[in-house]
Amino acid sequence: MTSPSDAPDGANGNGVAGRYYGRAIPYLPIEGYPGKLIAIEGTDGVGRTTQIQLLREWLEVRGYGVVETGWTRSPLMQPTIELAKSSNTLNKLTFVLLYATDFADRLEKEIIPALKAGFVVLTDRYIFTALARAGVRGIDRQWLRNLYGFAIAPHLVFYFSIDVKSLIGRVLQSRGMDFWESGMDLKHGDDIYDSFKTYQQKLLREYASMADEFHFRVVDARRPVDRIQDELRRQVSAFLEPSEKPAETITAH
Amino acid sequence: MTFSLLHATDFADRLLYKIIPPLKAGMIVLADRYAYTAFARDATRGVDRQWVRELYSFAVRPDLSLYFRVPIDVSVDRLLARRVKLKFYESGMDLGWSANPVESFRLFQGKVLDEYDEIVREFSLEVVDARPSITEQQRVVRALVAKHVSTSHVEILDDESV
Repeated sequence: MTSPSDAPDGANGNGVAGRYYGRAIPYLPIEGYPGKLIAIEGTDGVGRTTQIQLLREWLEVRGYGVVETGWTRSPLMQPTIELAKSSNTLNKLTFVLLYATDFADRLEKEIIPALKAGFVVLTDRYIFTALARAGVRGIDRQWLRNLYGFAIAPHLVFYFSIDVKSLIGRVLQSRGMDFWESGMDLKHGDDIYDSFKTYQQKLLREYASMADEFHFRVVDARRPVDRIQDELRRQVSAFLEPSEKPAETITAH
Repeated sequence: MTFSLLHATDFADRLLYKIIPPLKAGMIVLADRYAYTAFARDATRGVDRQWVRELYSFAVRPDLSLYFRVPIDVSVDRLLARRVKLKFYESGMDLGWSANPVESFRLFQGKVLDEYDEIVREFSLEVVDARPSITEQQRVVRALVAKHVSTSHVEILDDESV
């Protein structure tokens, strides 16, 4: 129960890739782990999942071990989060903590062991989604950053950037607008289209404001799937190859 | 870490639904365990002390916090005398310090008590010696509470543990 302002700056990794952002998990030292953490960030419906699938296949053909993880996919927390979403009784602070619990579980059980074993970990969304969503909902930014101090700074963060107009087109063409992705809990009004637009605009602003702080590599998500994939592959191989040459040099297209 | 956050989530839910509304209504809230339990327990499990304190910075600071201090031997004797089965996590069995539940409890809770001593200093908790009789302790508790409130109505809202 200290206020964030009187807390000393707890950052020990200072955003260095592969280190904890802030106050570490003392019983899990991670220095020198051979694995690499690659985060694909971006708002709902921007095409992250498709790109991760393609990237995974390509990396595996080249002989890298790949592990995938994604937001709210922890076996421990997923049922609880789904339940909480369906009942609509949870306060936003409680939601933030539920997400953080899910993330901690995946970090301890999936991400850290995989990094230790030398895998390339592809994460579909990372803490930035949590920071953006909570930021839009008015949760104290410094408190959030302290909370997620136990997160590991990824080696690469790809941020899929898009404008709201293009996003609306994509989402309507695919699966339609959903209650949470439209921020209907924020009570911007009953119209899902208007709410989606307002909410996603705010989210995009939050993401954009984090770009420098967290070293985002901005990827224009409005381009065709192959073009985006080419760019990802170029950047990923430029990063991975100096530390470990691929086992298989044929590029799969 | 996950364990710590799971408790914090539960705490946030109870804080927002069961603690803050009655406080706003001017009622007295008695909390059986509070964030300090988390500070002691999580630190003993190896979570960064400062991180847990920052995590709980959304908690309301109590007007009065009582810490019932008891030596570890008394605590073990009391629990065993009631023939309760020591709980897995309460005994810190997850930490693998000892395969014997009583021994593990002693080791784990011993460290928890050390953490509490630190917390008592840091957050100025009022220490109540928990060795004397219940009546004796109640006298002390009443004296401490009387310094803070003058009321004839106390409502027990939540007796779950943190």
